Amino acid sequence: MSKTDLEEQIAEHVIEFKDKYYRLAYSYVRNADDALDIIQESIYKAFSSLDSLKNPSYIKTWFYRIVVNTSLDFLRKRKKEIVVSEVFLSANDESKYDSYEDFDLKAALDDLPPNYRSIIILRYFEDLKLQEIAEILNENVNTVKTRLYAGLKKLRIKMNDENWEVSK
Amino acid sequence: MKNNSLEKLKKEYMDIPIPQELDFVVKKALKESRSNSTTMAAKGRFRKAAVVAASTAACVAVLTIGVNTSPAFAKTLSKVPIVSSIVKVLTFREYTVDEGTFNANIKVPEISGLKDEKLQSSLNEKYLKENEKLYEQFVADMEDMKQNGGGHLGVDSGYVVKTDTDRILSIGRYVVNIVGSSSTTFKYDTIDKKNEILITLPSLFKDDSYVDIISENIKEQMKSRHEADDSMIYWVEGVEDEGLVELFEKISKEQNFYINSDGKLVISFDKYDVAPGCMGIQEFVIPTQIISDILVSNEYIK
Repeated sequence: MSKTDLEEQIAEHVIEFKDKYYRLAYSYVRNADDALDIIQESIYKAFSSLDSLKNPSYIKTWFYRIVVNTSLDFLRKRKKEIVVSEVFLSANDESKYDSYEDFDLKAALDDLPPNYRSIIILRYFEDLKLQEIAEILNENVNTVKTRLYAGLKKLRIKMNDENWEVSK
Repeated sequence: MKNNSLEKLKKEYMDIPIPQELDFVVKKALKESRSNSTTMAAKGRFRKAAVVAASTAACVAVLTIGVNTSPAFAKTLSKVPIVSSIVKVLTFREYTVDEGTFNANIKVPEISGLKDEKLQSSLNEKYLKENEKLYEQFVADMEDMKQNGGGHLGVDSGYVVKTDTDRILSIGRYVVNIVGSSSTTFKYDTIDKKNEILITLPSLFKDDSYVDIISENIKEQMKSRHEADDSMIYWVEGVEDEGLVELFEKISKEQNFYINSDGKLVISFDKYDVAPGCMGIQEFVIPTQIISDILVSNEYIK
């Protein structure tokens, strides 16, 4: 396949599934501007590293991987600022009382380390197969499986803890 | 219980609003990436930088041939006593658009007071052309977006005087494009006010070895910045090893630079050139001792 054909395929794919990629980026950075930034940068990265796409049928997992990595880079960079802004937000955000239950679980999900959270998002929200997730995250399937169950367990334990606190 | 909650979470996830700008951002990024990759076959990420550098080089070359290649000319000038410099930078023209979500603010700098009118007018013409083009592009993009249901678009362009000493004037022109996210580019001109010479990067050095020497130093600086603070990410070997981006190898011969008021050479990279966008513009001050052997003279760089 010629390079231009490949580029055409990637472009079509990205345009078709842009909403999915945007949501994924947003789930990391929680902010529309930053998520747009990540999408833009992911596209630049994708086209500057066409060689890393071994087989055109892997475009999906390949591009997911770029978006995940770009998001993680971004979070690493923003780590320090986030600590401040989250404290600030939770002190000033009254809307959480409107939907308390959701907030609980969402907060629990947000609390998971990124590599656990990615797996839950990709598996349950993006409906990807474990094999595909393993390719995206560059891990083997067993590791992904273990982390998925550990992640779910953590979520439930956390929820239980919270419930216990509330009912007390 | 578990599945129920996950369903709820999923719904919330799927409800993440998609901003209007997404379509535009995606198409624009695709257009930029793809047209670059078909015009220049060799380099990946640096294609864009290379195109910009090449075109700047082309328009600078014309005037540098006359002014800059003649050290003899420069020497004669420097012997003539010169009244203290009155070279200034002023805003020559402003373009503004303010239509709700569409904002443009473009300031065109103008240099005055140079006795070499040819140098002065070619710089000023260049500034004016750059900004006219920018303004036209903005209006075209704006119309395009309006037809596609609107959105946010902004461009902010202007200049900063980086250095203004008795000897050196460094002007940086910046362009910030805002489409939900933003991208920033910087271009510099550095003028020797006494000799009225536009200083180019190659003209500072005896030969081309500066490219490798400076590049190596920048790579070391990138690594040590990353070691000191692991949130500082650069696309350089040893820091970013994912193999997903083209890594920084060397600066271009006409790399963006300016000379700061301490007389140090500063190399500048645009957003996305050598690091993720969140790192913004990146500057590296090059220690004078590592280039002192290959400098033509210590007149500018100390």
